[in-house]
Amino acid sequence: MTFELRLTKINPNMTAGMVECCYVQPNSPIKMGDKLFDLRVDLSAGFSQYCPPISYFRVVAREAAVLKELSVKPGDTVNVGDLLAVFGDKAGGEAADQPARPLRVTTAGIAHHSGMWSARDQ
Amino acid sequence: MTHEIALKLGSLKAGDFLVRRSAIHWLCEDGHSCASGEVVGFCTVTLEPSPNQRNAGLPMAGEQDFQVAIAPRTAGRLRIETGKSPGGYLGIHGLHLWNPDHVVARLEVSDDIQGREQNVRLLMLAGRRMSGLADVDAGILPGWHNRSRAWWGEEGPDRTLLCLGICDAAGIVRGNQTPFIEAFQSTPEAAHLVYVPDHPVVPCAPVLLDQLLRTPNQNRAIAADLAAALGNNDRNATTSDDWLFAGALLSWLERSPIRDTYEVVTPAGLRRVGPADAVLLSLSSETNTILRHKRLGYSLQMLRHRQASAGPAIRSWLGSAFEPVKRSIDDIRRDYRRLIEAIGEQTGAKVFILNRMSTSGYEDIVSYAPFDAPMSDTLENIAAKEMNLMLHDLAQESEAMIIDVDAVAAEIGGAEHLPDGIHHSATLQALLRSAMFTAWAPQSRKSGSVR
Repeated sequence: MTFELRLTKINPNMTAGMVECCYVQPNSPIKMGDKLFDLRVDLSAGFSQYCPPISYFRVVAREAAVLKELSVKPGDTVNVGDLLAVFGDKAGGEAADQPARPLRVTTAGIAHHSGMWSARDQ
Repeated sequence: MTHEIALKLGSLKAGDFLVRRSAIHWLCEDGHSCASGEVVGFCTVTLEPSPNQRNAGLPMAGEQDFQVAIAPRTAGRLRIETGKSPGGYLGIHGLHLWNPDHVVARLEVSDDIQGREQNVRLLMLAGRRMSGLADVDAGILPGWHNRSRAWWGEEGPDRTLLCLGICDAAGIVRGNQTPFIEAFQSTPEAAHLVYVPDHPVVPCAPVLLDQLLRTPNQNRAIAADLAAALGNNDRNATTSDDWLFAGALLSWLERSPIRDTYEVVTPAGLRRVGPADAVLLSLSSETNTILRHKRLGYSLQMLRHRQASAGPAIRSWLGSAFEPVKRSIDDIRRDYRRLIEAIGEQTGAKVFILNRMSTSGYEDIVSYAPFDAPMSDTLENIAAKEMNLMLHDLAQESEAMIIDVDAVAAEIGGAEHLPDGIHHSATLQALLRSAMFTAWAPQSRKSGSVR
Protein backbone atom coordinates (compact mmCIF):
# COMPACT_ATOMS: atom_id res chain seq x y z
CA MET A 1 0.00 0.00 0.00
CA THR A 2 1.22 3.52 -0.79
CA PHE A 3 0.70 6.63 1.34
CA GLU A 4 1.39 10.19 0.29
CA LEU A 5 2.36 13.21 2.33
CA ARG A 6 1.29 16.57 0.95
CA LEU A 7 1.60 20.06 2.45
CA THR A 8 -1.67 20.72 4.23
CA LYS A 9 -2.95 24.02 5.60
CA ILE A 10 -1.28 24.12 9.00
CA ASN A 11 -2.53 27.68 9.38
CA PRO A 12 -5.76 28.74 7.67
CA ASN A 13 -4.09 31.77 6.08
CA MET A 14 -1.07 30.01 4.58
CA THR A 15 -0.67 29.38 0.87
CA ALA A 16 2.82 27.87 0.88
CA GLY A 17 5.63 26.62 3.09
CA MET A 18 9.36 26.12 2.93
CA VAL A 19 11.23 22.94 3.77
CA GLU A 20 13.73 23.72 6.55
CA CYS A 21 14.87 20.19 7.43
CA CYS A 22 14.35 16.79 5.92
CA TYR A 23 15.04 13.98 8.40
CA VAL A 24 14.44 10.93 6.18
CA GLN A 25 16.14 9.30 3.20
CA PRO A 26 14.58 7.28 0.35
CA ASN A 27 14.15 3.58 1.09
CA SER A 28 14.69 4.11 4.79
CA PRO A 29 12.11 2.76 7.22
CA ILE A 30 10.40 5.08 9.63
CA LYS A 31 8.61 4.23 12.84
CA MET A 32 5.90 5.99 14.76
CA GLY A 33 7.34 9.13 16.38
CA ASP A 34 10.11 9.68 13.82
CA LYS A 35 10.77 13.24 12.67
CA LEU A 36 10.04 13.73 8.95
CA PHE A 37 10.26 17.44 8.10
CA ASP A 38 10.64 20.87 9.67
CA LEU A 39 8.67 23.46 7.72
CA ARG A 40 8.60 27.23 7.71
CA VAL A 41 5.34 29.08 7.11
CA ASP A 42 5.71 32.72 6.15
CA LEU A 43 2.32 34.36 5.97
CA SER A 44 3.78 37.23 3.94
CA ALA A 45 3.80 34.77 1.04
CA GLY A 46 0.13 35.64 0.73
CA PHE A 47 0.18 39.31 1.77
CA SER A 48 3.37 41.35 1.48
CA GLN A 49 2.69 43.29 4.70
CA TYR A 50 1.15 40.40 6.62
CA CYS A 51 2.18 40.60 10.21
CA PRO A 52 4.33 37.68 11.35
CA PRO A 53 4.76 35.34 13.10
CA ILE A 54 6.79 33.47 10.63
CA SER A 55 6.22 30.10 12.18
CA TYR A 56 7.98 26.77 12.10
CA PHE A 57 6.41 23.34 12.34
CA ARG A 58 7.69 19.79 12.76
CA VAL A 59 5.94 16.95 10.95
CA VAL A 60 6.24 13.62 12.80
CA ALA A 61 5.14 10.15 11.67
CA ARG A 62 2.25 8.57 13.54
CA GLU A 63 2.69 5.19 11.89
CA ALA A 64 5.45 2.94 10.58
CA ALA A 65 6.24 3.10 6.86
CA VAL A 66 9.09 3.12 4.32
CA LEU A 67 9.99 6.25 2.42
CA LYS A 68 9.67 5.49 -1.31
CA GLU A 69 10.12 8.87 -2.88
CA LEU A 70 11.23 12.24 -1.57
CA SER A 71 9.88 15.15 -3.65
CA VAL A 72 11.51 18.06 -1.81
CA LYS A 73 14.80 19.14 -0.29
CA PRO A 74 15.72 21.79 2.32
CA GLY A 75 15.24 25.27 0.88
CA ASP A 76 12.39 24.26 -1.43
CA THR A 77 9.19 26.27 -1.34
CA VAL A 78 6.06 24.22 -1.79
CA ASN A 79 2.44 25.24 -2.24
CA VAL A 80 -0.37 23.90 -0.11
CA GLY A 81 -1.39 20.61 -1.70
CA ASP A 82 2.04 19.87 -3.20
CA LEU A 83 3.58 16.45 -2.68
CA LEU A 84 6.33 16.19 -0.06
CA ALA A 85 6.95 12.44 -0.11
CA VAL A 86 5.48 9.05 -0.94
CA PHE A 87 5.61 6.18 1.57
CA GLY A 88 4.86 2.45 1.40
CA ASP A 89 3.89 -0.01 4.10
CA LYS A 90 6.82 -2.30 3.30
CA ALA A 91 10.13 -2.27 1.49
CA GLY A 92 9.94 -2.74 -2.26
CA GLY A 93 6.89 -1.87 -4.32
CA GLU A 94 6.41 1.08 -6.62
CA ALA A 95 6.10 4.69 -5.54
CA ALA A 96 3.94 5.21 -8.62
CA ASP A 97 1.16 3.05 -7.12
CA GLN A 98 -2.05 4.95 -6.52
CA PRO A 99 -1.85 6.22 -2.92
CA ALA A 100 -4.37 4.58 -0.63
CA ARG A 101 -4.52 7.52 1.77
CA PRO A 102 -2.39 10.27 3.34
CA LEU A 103 0.34 9.17 5.75
CA ARG A 104 -0.77 9.70 9.33
CA VAL A 105 1.33 12.48 10.85
CA THR A 106 1.44 14.90 13.77
CA THR A 107 2.27 18.56 13.20
CA ALA A 108 3.48 20.80 16.03
CA GLY A 109 4.74 24.38 16.22
CA ILE A 110 8.47 24.54 17.00
CA ALA A 111 11.12 27.19 17.55
CA HIS A 112 13.69 28.12 14.92
CA HIS A 113 16.91 26.14 15.42
CA SER A 114 20.45 26.09 14.13
CA GLY A 115 19.96 22.96 12.03
CA MET A 116 17.46 24.66 9.75
CA TRP A 117 18.20 25.56 6.14
CA SER A 118 17.45 29.24 6.85
CA ALA A 119 20.05 29.26 9.67
CA ARG A 120 22.92 28.40 7.32
CA ASP A 121 23.54 32.01 6.24
CA GLN A 122 23.28 33.49 9.75
CA MET B 1 -45.89 55.54 20.26
CA THR B 2 -42.81 57.54 19.36
CA HIS B 3 -41.79 61.16 19.14
CA GLU B 4 -38.78 62.99 17.73
CA ILE B 5 -36.08 64.65 19.74
CA ALA B 6 -33.45 67.05 18.39
CA LEU B 7 -29.83 65.90 18.67
CA LYS B 8 -27.67 68.91 19.48
CA LEU B 9 -23.90 69.13 19.45
CA GLY B 10 -23.59 70.45 22.98
CA SER B 11 -20.68 72.37 24.43
CA LEU B 12 -17.02 71.94 23.45
CA LYS B 13 -14.42 74.43 24.67
CA ALA B 14 -10.70 74.94 24.29
CA GLY B 15 -9.89 77.95 26.44
CA ASP B 16 -10.04 81.12 24.37
CA PHE B 17 -9.40 79.26 21.13
CA LEU B 18 -12.11 79.09 18.50
CA VAL B 19 -13.36 75.58 17.83
CA ARG B 20 -14.20 74.97 14.18
CA ARG B 21 -15.64 71.83 12.70
CA SER B 22 -16.22 70.22 9.34
CA ALA B 23 -19.56 68.91 8.14
CA ILE B 24 -20.77 65.73 9.87
CA HIS B 25 -19.71 62.55 8.06
CA TRP B 26 -22.39 59.98 8.75
CA LEU B 27 -21.42 56.38 9.40
CA CYS B 28 -24.97 55.14 8.87
CA GLU B 29 -28.00 55.80 6.69
CA ASP B 30 -31.07 57.88 7.42
CA GLY B 31 -33.51 55.62 9.29
CA HIS B 32 -30.77 53.61 11.03
CA SER B 33 -31.92 52.12 14.30
CA CYS B 34 -29.12 53.01 16.69
CA ALA B 35 -28.26 51.86 20.18
CA SER B 36 -27.57 54.12 23.10
CA GLY B 37 -23.97 55.33 22.87
CA GLU B 38 -23.50 54.08 19.29
CA VAL B 39 -21.17 56.28 17.24
CA VAL B 40 -23.15 57.40 14.18
CA GLY B 41 -20.98 60.15 12.66
CA PHE B 42 -17.91 62.31 13.07
CA CYS B 43 -16.42 65.62 12.07
CA THR B 44 -12.91 67.05 11.84
CA VAL B 45 -12.13 69.77 14.37
CA THR B 46 -9.54 72.55 14.31
CA LEU B 47 -8.56 74.89 17.11
CA GLU B 48 -7.87 78.43 16.03
CA PRO B 49 -6.37 81.32 18.00
CA SER B 50 -8.84 84.12 18.60
CA PRO B 51 -7.81 87.51 17.10
CA ASN B 52 -6.09 88.71 20.31
CA GLN B 53 -3.93 85.59 20.74
CA ARG B 54 -2.40 85.03 17.32
CA ASN B 55 1.00 84.31 18.86
CA ALA B 56 -0.25 81.90 21.49
CA GLY B 57 0.82 78.27 21.22
CA LEU B 58 -1.98 76.09 19.95
CA PRO B 59 -3.28 73.37 22.27
CA MET B 60 -2.71 69.83 20.98
CA ALA B 61 -0.35 71.38 18.44
CA GLY B 62 1.52 68.12 17.84
CA GLU B 63 -1.66 66.26 16.99
CA GLN B 64 -2.52 67.22 13.46
CA ASP B 65 -5.58 64.99 13.36
CA PHE B 66 -8.35 65.91 15.77
CA GLN B 67 -11.87 64.61 15.23
CA VAL B 68 -15.04 64.41 17.23
CA ALA B 69 -17.41 61.47 16.83
CA ILE B 70 -21.02 61.77 17.96
CA ALA B 71 -23.31 59.24 19.63
CA PRO B 72 -26.95 59.58 20.75
CA ARG B 73 -27.43 58.98 24.47
CA THR B 74 -30.59 56.98 23.93
CA ALA B 75 -31.62 54.31 21.45
CA GLY B 76 -33.87 55.31 18.57
CA ARG B 77 -34.27 55.69 14.83
CA LEU B 78 -31.94 58.27 13.38
CA ARG B 79 -33.34 60.91 11.04
CA ILE B 80 -30.61 62.64 9.05
CA GLU B 81 -31.30 65.64 6.89
CA THR B 82 -29.28 65.00 3.75
CA GLY B 83 -27.92 67.59 1.36
CA LYS B 84 -26.68 69.93 4.11
CA SER B 85 -22.97 69.29 3.46
CA PRO B 86 -21.21 70.55 0.33
CA GLY B 87 -19.16 67.31 0.37
CA GLY B 88 -15.66 66.86 -1.06
CA TYR B 89 -12.89 68.90 0.53
CA LEU B 90 -15.47 71.42 1.68
CA GLY B 91 -16.95 68.72 3.88
CA ILE B 92 -13.57 67.89 5.41
CA HIS B 93 -12.24 71.29 6.41
CA GLY B 94 -13.38 73.14 9.50
CA LEU B 95 -15.80 75.64 7.99
CA HIS B 96 -18.29 75.96 10.84
CA LEU B 97 -17.79 77.51 14.26
CA TRP B 98 -18.75 74.99 16.93
CA ASN B 99 -22.28 75.88 17.97
CA PRO B 100 -23.56 73.92 20.98
CA ASP B 101 -27.16 74.48 19.92
CA HIS B 102 -26.69 73.19 16.38
CA VAL B 103 -29.09 70.32 15.65
CA VAL B 104 -27.16 67.65 13.74
CA ALA B 105 -30.03 65.16 13.37
CA ARG B 106 -33.25 63.99 14.94
CA LEU B 107 -33.99 60.78 16.78
CA GLU B 108 -37.29 58.91 16.89
CA VAL B 109 -37.60 57.60 20.43
CA SER B 110 -40.30 55.86 22.42
CA ASP B 111 -42.62 58.05 24.43
CA ASP B 112 -41.13 56.97 27.73
CA ILE B 113 -38.06 59.10 26.84
CA GLN B 114 -38.65 62.54 28.28
CA GLY B 115 -37.80 65.85 26.59
CA ARG B 116 -37.62 67.23 23.07
CA GLU B 117 -33.88 67.65 22.71
CA GLN B 118 -30.64 66.01 23.79
CA ASN B 119 -26.95 66.78 23.55
CA VAL B 120 -25.07 63.96 21.79
CA ARG B 121 -22.13 62.26 23.48
CA LEU B 122 -18.83 63.46 22.04
CA LEU B 123 -15.98 61.02 21.50
CA MET B 124 -12.71 62.87 20.96
CA LEU B 125 -10.11 61.29 18.66
CA ALA B 126 -6.60 62.68 18.24
CA GLY B 127 -3.65 61.45 16.20
CA ARG B 128 -0.01 62.60 16.17
CA ARG B 129 1.37 61.94 12.71
CA MET B 130 4.69 60.19 12.26
CA SER B 131 5.42 63.07 9.91
CA GLY B 132 3.42 66.09 8.86
CA LEU B 133 3.60 64.56 5.41
CA ALA B 134 1.54 61.56 6.53
CA ASP B 135 -1.81 63.24 6.07
CA VAL B 136 -4.84 61.48 4.67
CA ASP B 137 -8.10 63.37 4.74
CA ALA B 138 -10.84 60.78 4.59
CA GLY B 139 -12.15 58.56 7.38
CA ILE B 140 -11.66 58.28 11.12
CA LEU B 141 -8.09 58.96 12.24
CA PRO B 142 -6.61 58.27 8.81
CA GLY B 143 -2.88 58.40 8.08
CA TRP B 144 0.26 57.21 9.84
CA HIS B 145 0.32 58.10 13.52
CA ASN B 146 3.03 57.47 16.07
CA ARG B 147 0.42 58.02 18.77
CA SER B 148 -3.35 58.07 18.67
CA ARG B 149 -5.84 58.45 21.50
CA ALA B 150 -9.49 58.89 22.32
CA TRP B 151 -11.74 59.87 25.22
CA TRP B 152 -15.40 60.54 25.86
CA GLY B 153 -15.90 64.30 26.12
CA GLU B 154 -18.19 64.67 29.15
CA GLU B 155 -16.05 66.41 31.75
CA GLY B 156 -12.86 64.83 30.46
CA PRO B 157 -11.21 61.56 31.38
CA ASP B 158 -9.89 60.84 34.84
CA ARG B 159 -7.78 57.78 33.94
CA THR B 160 -5.41 57.00 31.06
CA LEU B 161 -4.50 53.58 29.65
CA LEU B 162 -1.43 53.47 27.42
CA CYS B 163 -1.21 50.49 25.07
CA LEU B 164 2.32 49.49 24.04
CA GLY B 165 1.84 45.99 22.80
CA ILE B 166 2.05 44.50 19.36
CA CYS B 167 -0.96 43.22 17.35
CA ASP B 168 -2.55 41.31 20.22
CA ALA B 169 -2.70 44.39 22.44
CA ALA B 170 -3.47 46.86 19.64
CA GLY B 171 -6.67 45.06 18.70
CA ILE B 172 -7.95 45.25 22.26
CA VAL B 173 -7.50 48.99 22.65
CA ARG B 174 -7.66 50.37 19.14
CA GLY B 175 -9.96 47.75 17.63
CA ASN B 176 -10.04 46.74 14.01
CA GLN B 177 -13.04 48.24 12.28
CA THR B 178 -12.73 51.89 13.23
CA PRO B 179 -10.08 53.23 15.58
CA PHE B 180 -11.23 53.22 19.22
CA ILE B 181 -14.95 53.09 18.39
CA GLU B 182 -15.42 49.46 19.43
CA ALA B 183 -13.61 50.07 22.72
CA PHE B 184 -15.54 53.22 23.61
CA GLN B 185 -18.94 51.85 22.70
CA SER B 186 -18.33 49.29 25.44
CA THR B 187 -16.77 51.77 27.87
CA PRO B 188 -19.18 54.25 29.39
CA GLU B 189 -16.58 55.47 31.83
CA ALA B 190 -14.45 58.60 31.62
CA ALA B 191 -11.50 56.70 30.20
CA HIS B 192 -8.67 57.96 28.03
CA LEU B 193 -7.10 55.33 25.76
CA VAL B 194 -3.73 55.92 24.10
CA TYR B 195 -2.16 53.67 21.48
CA VAL B 196 1.48 53.76 20.37
CA PRO B 197 2.18 51.40 17.46
CA ASP B 198 5.19 49.13 17.00
CA HIS B 199 6.40 51.20 14.03
CA PRO B 200 9.17 50.20 13.73
CA VAL B 201 10.28 49.00 17.19
CA VAL B 202 8.83 46.12 19.21
CA PRO B 203 7.97 47.46 22.68
CA CYS B 204 9.72 44.74 24.68
CA ALA B 205 10.80 45.36 28.27
CA PRO B 206 14.54 46.17 27.75
CA VAL B 207 13.77 48.51 24.85
CA LEU B 208 11.09 50.32 26.87
CA LEU B 209 13.40 50.57 29.87
CA ASP B 210 16.19 52.10 27.76
CA GLN B 211 13.69 54.50 26.23
CA LEU B 212 12.38 55.51 29.65
CA LEU B 213 15.83 56.16 31.17
CA ARG B 214 17.66 57.59 28.13
CA THR B 215 19.18 61.06 28.50
CA PRO B 216 19.11 63.79 25.82
CA ASN B 217 22.87 63.25 25.27
CA GLN B 218 22.31 59.55 24.67
CA ASN B 219 19.55 60.39 22.19
CA ARG B 220 21.93 62.69 20.35
CA ALA B 221 24.59 59.95 20.25
CA ILE B 222 22.09 57.49 18.75
CA ALA B 223 21.02 60.01 16.11
CA ALA B 224 24.65 60.85 15.25
CA ASP B 225 25.57 57.19 14.95
CA LEU B 226 22.63 56.50 12.66
CA ALA B 227 23.29 59.57 10.53
CA ALA B 228 26.96 58.56 10.18
CA ALA B 229 25.99 55.03 9.20
CA LEU B 230 23.65 56.25 6.48
CA GLY B 231 25.88 59.11 5.33
CA ASN B 232 29.10 57.10 5.10
CA ASN B 233 27.69 53.93 3.69
CA ASP B 234 30.03 52.90 0.89
CA ARG B 235 28.82 49.33 0.39
CA ASN B 236 25.08 49.92 0.18
CA ALA B 237 23.56 52.96 -1.46
CA THR B 238 21.34 54.79 1.03
CA THR B 239 17.82 54.95 -0.35
CA SER B 240 14.73 56.99 0.47
CA ASP B 241 13.38 53.91 2.31
CA ASP B 242 16.44 54.09 4.60
CA TRP B 243 15.90 57.75 5.48
CA LEU B 244 12.17 57.27 6.09
CA PHE B 245 12.87 54.26 8.28
CA ALA B 246 15.60 56.14 10.15
CA GLY B 247 13.21 59.01 10.89
CA ALA B 248 10.56 56.65 12.24
CA LEU B 249 13.18 54.79 14.29
CA LEU B 250 14.58 57.95 15.89
CA SER B 251 11.08 59.24 16.58
CA TRP B 252 10.33 55.99 18.44
CA LEU B 253 13.62 55.87 20.38
CA GLU B 254 13.74 59.53 21.41
CA ARG B 255 10.63 59.83 23.53
CA SER B 256 9.05 57.56 26.07
CA PRO B 257 5.24 57.52 25.85
CA ILE B 258 5.19 56.28 29.45
CA ARG B 259 6.09 59.81 30.58
CA ASP B 260 3.75 61.62 28.13
CA THR B 261 1.10 64.01 29.40
CA TYR B 262 -1.88 64.97 27.25
CA GLU B 263 -4.15 67.91 26.62
CA VAL B 264 -7.82 67.01 26.43
CA VAL B 265 -10.60 69.18 25.08
CA THR B 266 -13.84 68.86 27.05
CA PRO B 267 -17.22 70.60 27.20
CA ALA B 268 -15.83 72.56 30.16
CA GLY B 269 -12.55 73.56 28.50
CA LEU B 270 -8.96 72.37 28.13
CA ARG B 271 -7.38 70.06 30.69
CA ARG B 272 -4.04 68.31 30.98
CA VAL B 273 -4.02 64.68 32.07
CA GLY B 274 -1.45 61.93 32.49
CA PRO B 275 1.05 60.40 32.52
CA ALA B 276 -0.86 57.17 32.00
CA ASP B 277 -1.91 55.41 35.20
CA ALA B 278 -2.01 52.05 33.39
CA VAL B 279 0.32 50.55 30.78
CA LEU B 280 -0.69 47.53 28.70
CA LEU B 281 2.14 45.30 27.44
CA SER B 282 2.22 41.97 25.66
CA LEU B 283 4.26 38.91 26.56
CA SER B 284 4.39 38.15 22.84
CA SER B 285 6.76 41.14 22.49
CA GLU B 286 9.36 39.38 24.65
CA THR B 287 11.43 37.41 22.16
CA ASN B 288 14.32 35.23 23.28
CA THR B 289 16.76 37.15 21.10
CA ILE B 290 17.04 40.93 20.89
CA LEU B 291 19.62 43.26 19.36
CA ARG B 292 22.11 45.33 21.35
CA HIS B 293 24.13 48.19 19.89
CA LYS B 294 27.79 47.16 20.16
CA ARG B 295 29.15 50.61 21.02
CA LEU B 296 26.23 52.54 22.54
CA GLY B 297 24.75 49.59 24.41
CA TYR B 298 21.06 50.23 23.83
CA SER B 299 18.57 47.45 23.06
CA LEU B 300 16.47 47.17 19.94
CA GLN B 301 13.95 44.70 18.61
CA MET B 302 12.02 44.87 15.36
CA LEU B 303 9.61 42.52 13.68
CA ARG B 304 10.98 40.91 10.55
CA HIS B 305 8.39 42.49 8.26
CA ARG B 306 9.20 45.94 9.65
CA GLN B 307 12.90 45.40 8.92
CA ALA B 308 11.93 44.35 5.41
CA SER B 309 10.50 47.82 4.79
CA ALA B 310 13.89 49.42 5.54
CA GLY B 311 16.38 50.08 2.77
CA PRO B 312 19.71 48.28 2.28
CA ALA B 313 21.74 50.77 4.34
CA ILE B 314 19.56 50.32 7.45
CA ARG B 315 19.66 46.55 7.07
CA SER B 316 23.45 46.70 6.73
CA TRP B 317 23.66 48.94 9.84
CA LEU B 318 21.49 46.55 11.84
CA GLY B 319 23.79 43.70 10.84
CA SER B 320 27.09 45.45 11.60
CA ALA B 321 26.38 47.85 14.50
CA PHE B 322 24.29 45.44 16.59
CA GLU B 323 24.84 42.01 18.09
CA PRO B 324 22.13 39.48 18.93
CA VAL B 325 21.67 38.86 22.64
CA LYS B 326 19.98 35.67 23.82
CA ARG B 327 17.57 35.97 26.74
CA SER B 328 16.57 33.14 29.01
CA ILE B 329 13.20 33.16 30.76
CA ASP B 330 14.98 34.40 33.89
CA ASP B 331 16.48 37.27 31.86
CA ILE B 332 13.02 38.23 30.57
CA ARG B 333 11.64 38.11 34.11
CA ARG B 334 14.51 40.34 35.29
CA ASP B 335 13.90 42.79 32.41
CA TYR B 336 10.20 42.96 33.27
CA ARG B 337 10.95 43.53 36.95
CA ARG B 338 13.33 46.39 36.17
CA LEU B 339 10.81 48.01 33.83
CA ILE B 340 7.95 47.70 36.31
CA GLU B 341 10.12 49.22 39.06
CA ALA B 342 11.21 52.09 36.81
CA ILE B 343 7.64 52.83 35.75
CA GLY B 344 6.60 52.73 39.40
CA GLU B 345 9.30 55.23 40.32
CA GLN B 346 8.71 57.59 37.41
CA THR B 347 4.91 57.66 37.06
CA GLY B 348 3.39 55.13 39.46
CA ALA B 349 1.49 53.49 36.60
CA LYS B 350 0.20 49.96 37.00
CA VAL B 351 1.43 47.44 34.42
CA PHE B 352 -0.93 44.97 32.74
CA ILE B 353 0.52 42.18 30.61
CA LEU B 354 -1.26 39.96 28.10
CA ASN B 355 0.00 36.40 28.46
CA ARG B 356 0.49 33.99 25.55
CA MET B 357 -1.73 31.38 24.03
CA SER B 358 -0.05 28.15 25.08
CA THR B 359 -1.96 25.62 23.01
CA SER B 360 -2.76 25.39 19.34
CA GLY B 361 -5.82 23.93 17.74
CA TYR B 362 -3.63 22.40 15.06
CA GLU B 363 -1.43 20.14 17.15
CA ASP B 364 -2.14 16.49 17.78
CA ILE B 365 1.03 15.38 19.55
CA VAL B 366 0.90 11.73 20.64
CA SER B 367 4.54 11.46 21.73
CA TYR B 368 7.12 14.00 22.84
CA ALA B 369 10.02 11.76 21.76
CA PRO B 370 10.62 13.55 18.43
CA PHE B 371 11.04 16.90 20.14
CA ASP B 372 14.49 17.68 21.48
CA ALA B 373 15.07 18.52 25.14
CA PRO B 374 14.74 20.97 26.72
CA MET B 375 11.33 21.00 25.12
CA SER B 376 10.76 24.68 25.84
CA ASP B 377 13.56 25.34 23.33
CA THR B 378 11.82 23.22 20.70
CA LEU B 379 8.05 23.28 21.12
CA GLU B 380 6.35 26.68 20.93
CA ASN B 381 3.47 25.67 23.16
CA ILE B 382 5.81 24.45 25.92
CA ALA B 383 7.81 27.70 25.63
CA ALA B 384 4.57 29.68 25.92
CA LYS B 385 3.53 27.70 29.01
CA GLU B 386 6.87 28.39 30.68
CA MET B 387 6.64 32.09 29.81
CA ASN B 388 3.12 32.21 31.24
CA LEU B 389 4.36 30.57 34.45
CA MET B 390 7.14 33.13 34.65
CA LEU B 391 4.56 35.88 34.27
CA HIS B 392 2.47 34.32 37.02
CA ASP B 393 5.49 34.43 39.37
CA LEU B 394 6.23 38.00 38.30
CA ALA B 395 2.66 39.06 39.12
CA GLN B 396 3.08 37.56 42.61
CA GLU B 397 6.24 39.52 43.32
CA SER B 398 5.39 42.83 41.65
CA GLU B 399 2.52 45.18 40.88
CA ALA B 400 1.99 43.63 37.44
CA MET B 401 -1.37 42.14 36.54
CA ILE B 402 -1.97 39.44 33.92
CA ILE B 403 -4.72 39.57 31.31
CA ASP B 404 -5.24 35.86 30.75
CA VAL B 405 -5.39 35.47 26.97
CA ASP B 406 -4.51 31.78 27.35
CA ALA B 407 -7.59 31.01 29.44
CA VAL B 408 -10.04 33.17 27.50
CA ALA B 409 -8.91 31.83 24.12
CA ALA B 410 -8.98 28.23 25.33
CA GLU B 411 -12.53 28.74 26.59
CA ILE B 412 -13.90 29.92 23.24
CA GLY B 413 -11.58 27.93 20.95
CA GLY B 414 -8.03 28.96 20.14
CA ALA B 415 -7.99 27.50 16.64
CA GLU B 416 -10.95 29.59 15.61
CA HIS B 417 -10.25 32.77 17.54
CA LEU B 418 -6.45 32.88 17.83
CA PRO B 419 -5.13 30.71 14.99
CA ASP B 420 -1.55 32.02 14.91
CA GLY B 421 -1.25 32.89 18.61
CA ILE B 422 -1.09 36.65 17.96
CA HIS B 423 -4.07 37.81 15.93
CA HIS B 424 -7.44 37.73 17.67
CA SER B 425 -10.94 37.40 16.28
CA ALA B 426 -13.35 40.26 17.05
CA THR B 427 -15.06 38.04 19.63
CA LEU B 428 -11.80 37.38 21.45
CA GLN B 429 -10.86 41.06 21.27
CA ALA B 430 -14.16 42.02 22.88
CA LEU B 431 -13.72 39.47 25.70
CA LEU B 432 -10.14 40.59 26.37
CA ARG B 433 -11.19 44.24 26.22
CA SER B 434 -13.79 43.52 28.85
CA ALA B 435 -11.19 41.68 30.98
CA MET B 436 -8.80 44.62 30.57
CA PHE B 437 -11.38 47.18 31.65
CA THR B 438 -12.41 45.01 34.61
CA ALA B 439 -8.79 44.74 35.72
CA TRP B 440 -8.26 48.47 35.25
CA ALA B 441 -11.34 49.42 37.27
CA PRO B 442 -10.38 51.29 40.46
CA GLN B 443 -11.81 48.60 42.74
CA SER B 444 -9.94 45.71 41.07
CA ARG B 445 -7.35 43.59 42.84
CA LYS B 446 -3.81 44.94 43.11
CA SER B 447 -2.19 42.00 41.35
CA GLY B 448 -2.97 38.58 39.94
CA SER B 449 -4.76 37.67 36.74
CA VAL B 450 -8.06 38.44 35.05
CA ARG B 451 -9.99 36.43 32.49
